[in-house]
Amino acid sequence: MKNLPILIVLLPLVAAQLCLVFSRIHRNVGRWLVITAVSASLVMSVMQLLNVIKDGPIHYYFGNYRAPIGIEFSIDTVNGIMLILVCVIGLLTFLFSSEFRVSSDKTIVGGMNTVLCLLITGLLGMTSTGDVFNLYVFLEITSLSAYCLIAMGGNKGVIAAYRYMLVGTVAATLYLLGVAVLYANTGTLNMADMAVLLNEGDKNKAMLLAMILFIAAFGIKMALFPFHGWQPAAYTHAETSARPLISGVMGKIPAYAMFRYLFCVYGTDFKYFDFILDVLGVLSVCAMLYGSIRAMGQKDMRKLLAYSSVAQIGYISLGFAIGTPLALAGAFLHMFGHAFMKAGLFFCVGAIVYRYGKFSLEDVGRLYKKMPITCGLLVLAALSMVGIPPAVGFFSKWYLGLAAAREAKWIYLAVLVISSLLNAVYFFRLIEKFFINPDKGLPQKRERGRIEASAWILIPVIVCFVAILALGLCNAKIVDVLLLTLGEVGL
Amino acid sequence: MRKVFSVIVICVALIVPFAMFEVMPQIGDPNSAPNSHVSVHYIENTQSIANSPNMVTSVIVDFRAFDTLLETTVMFLAGVCVMIILAGVYKTKKRVIDPGESKMLRVRSGEKVFRSINKDVIITLLQPMILVYAVYVLFHGEVSLGGGFQAGALIGTVLLLDAMAVPDKRNFPNITKGTSAMIAGIGTFIYATAGILTLIGGGLFLEYEKFPWNVPLLEQHSIGILMVEIGVTLGVAGTIVTIMNVLLEKVKFDK
Amino acid sequence: MELFLAEKGIYFLTLLLLGVGLAGIIVCSNYMKKLICMNIMQVAVIFFFLCLGQKAGGTIPVAMDSMINAADYINPLPHGLMLTAIVVSLGTTGVGLALLYRIKDRYGSIEEKDIIEREREKK
Repeated sequence: MKNLPILIVLLPLVAAQLCLVFSRIHRNVGRWLVITAVSASLVMSVMQLLNVIKDGPIHYYFGNYRAPIGIEFSIDTVNGIMLILVCVIGLLTFLFSSEFRVSSDKTIVGGMNTVLCLLITGLLGMTSTGDVFNLYVFLEITSLSAYCLIAMGGNKGVIAAYRYMLVGTVAATLYLLGVAVLYANTGTLNMADMAVLLNEGDKNKAMLLAMILFIAAFGIKMALFPFHGWQPAAYTHAETSARPLISGVMGKIPAYAMFRYLFCVYGTDFKYFDFILDVLGVLSVCAMLYGSIRAMGQKDMRKLLAYSSVAQIGYISLGFAIGTPLALAGAFLHMFGHAFMKAGLFFCVGAIVYRYGKFSLEDVGRLYKKMPITCGLLVLAALSMVGIPPAVGFFSKWYLGLAAAREAKWIYLAVLVISSLLNAVYFFRLIEKFFINPDKGLPQKRERGRIEASAWILIPVIVCFVAILALGLCNAKIVDVLLLTLGEVGL
Repeated sequence: MRKVFSVIVICVALIVPFAMFEVMPQIGDPNSAPNSHVSVHYIENTQSIANSPNMVTSVIVDFRAFDTLLETTVMFLAGVCVMIILAGVYKTKKRVIDPGESKMLRVRSGEKVFRSINKDVIITLLQPMILVYAVYVLFHGEVSLGGGFQAGALIGTVLLLDAMAVPDKRNFPNITKGTSAMIAGIGTFIYATAGILTLIGGGLFLEYEKFPWNVPLLEQHSIGILMVEIGVTLGVAGTIVTIMNVLLEKVKFDK
Repeated sequence: MELFLAEKGIYFLTLLLLGVGLAGIIVCSNYMKKLICMNIMQVAVIFFFLCLGQKAGGTIPVAMDSMINAADYINPLPHGLMLTAIVVSLGTTGVGLALLYRIKDRYGSIEEKDIIEREREKK
């Protein structure tokens, strides 16, 4: 039991290392190995979350070297839930990807599974680590595998991946520079130890410099407004089977890392804390408006969803910018909800591509008659994005708005409402295209079987459908669990 | 627009250092924060805990061993990425240049023009020496400078030399890209096994003192370090060979 | 001035190198040059980090029997960390070169304006 934190990360890692060996036997053996490992991680992360709720945060020290000397994993309720999120969406993506055969070569298929599994490992590690340099290495694992998966999406994907690689490496380098500044002033790499040492003596200037570098670095990685340039192309042209994971989770984990630095390492004693929060607030307000406006003009489903992601990341950082425990809880609830909404929408896009091979909004008229389940999820996720009550999107926005109103930050509240209305415009346009536009009589790429698409495609769709509703209905419970940790670190 | 932006970036890059001067410690100050907090522990306990006089080795494969596991995984991942990114490219035919008239100008016409004593004999002699040196570096990494990465790079170099110096005559068996990527994966798995064995022995991950066999504590650390170094060596060598094989598939040498 | 250069001048040089790399990524239109500039930037940060390991009067971090004080050896931690960073930058460069190979294979050029032109033609 005491080894749960490492096993959650270790199992996908080992499965990825051995995936190529097992793929030698048959190309599906490697895939099933990876799926088994990720499901085991899922089960263990649920167990771990229950332990954390019962006994408080877990600290895991590698090699039994105490905190500042060795590497530490620290699990609290927030990243406990995030681990489950990564595992669930990773598992669904794996099931989903089994229908999209990239190649007939055993080595290539095995390699794809390896890379996808390492992406999950990197995300899990980034979530659970408590060491600043360890975070850098996990960040690089995540980015390298993401470059590869984006590049697999055809010729435009290669260009998108190359541009993302340049920008992403700049981000990683800036992060390392920030770590160097903090290390020069504290002499430690452990987050908890650093938090203690930073409060001794006057280190505000160094901290401000490092925080600007961190905001730039994580801003690039999570596609916050002025740094989002790489994101629409990358999400659009990524490999279809990996797109839900890339778009659903990959942007959220750097946001969590930024939260870690802002609230756990720096804390409210930091002299320029309000200034940093204001900067973040301005960026997120711009992101919410810009993303929504750009999304309205798109004709390609994937581009529309990608620009909508820019706006939704703005909601998350808006929660950080308000900074009260309630706002942080809203931001995290939005993070979980948006992961399922965006991944679900991309599962739908994948299902449509699987049947028809089309991405354009003009081609999908009256598709609900042919693919009712997929369109059902599409409508639910779209309504949740807009913020219609039983779905999770409403509740996260409610918490954010409530926190903004309590702090008397009326601009944030106004932008929240305006952005939701803009969301409504383009998502209702999306729904209109699916339900009202005339049927174009698309040629089918694959014949309809007994159900509208293969079972491996429908399972993720249904799970996302249930998850959006369940997160919405259980929101009070989740916020209670989140507040166990957030109540201590918020303003 | 672009020029203006770059000028701004350069200006910022010049201003930031001046802002930094105040906050950064002096170069070489023995009492500065990085030199006085954890690093003292690493320096003083390198022999008593990790049983390795080489402090960098003891930091990367004992005190902070988990970082190095991930580092090896990055290496393996890079090999796999290169392999599957380039898998879709077809062999380019344009690369083949017919020598044509210039062939007549050569003193010795025929395919063995580039053969010489250097390539045929010296390379064959050099390869075993480099291999021996690689093994020396691998096993000596614990006590002096060297270690798994260097040894892996040396082994990779031997195979690289073999494939590139005289392409039609190989001294070593030809490894396909799938096999070499597999070897890299197995190498990183050996590293992870060191951690898994300590878990089986009832310890925490990579806690070398809890290996499930009965030898003195300091020896446990040495065994752990050696196991890790072997894993790293295989991982790095496998990755280098993978990248080489992938590229060799794409290239056609001139006639 | 001399004291200033001796104590902190090296930070200025490494950050200048960082600025050169960053500006190069923006200005250069050739993708290969962008990749080289990216490498320059990574190396700059690696140098910067290594500055922190320096200690006046310290020797290489291999323990010898005659010296037992921590003040006798330079700080091994930045070296260990940068070993990791170097391998990571190597991996990134490798993947970048593979991507460039694909781009060249598909678009026939690695100049940015040629590629943008080809993309327009496709539409």
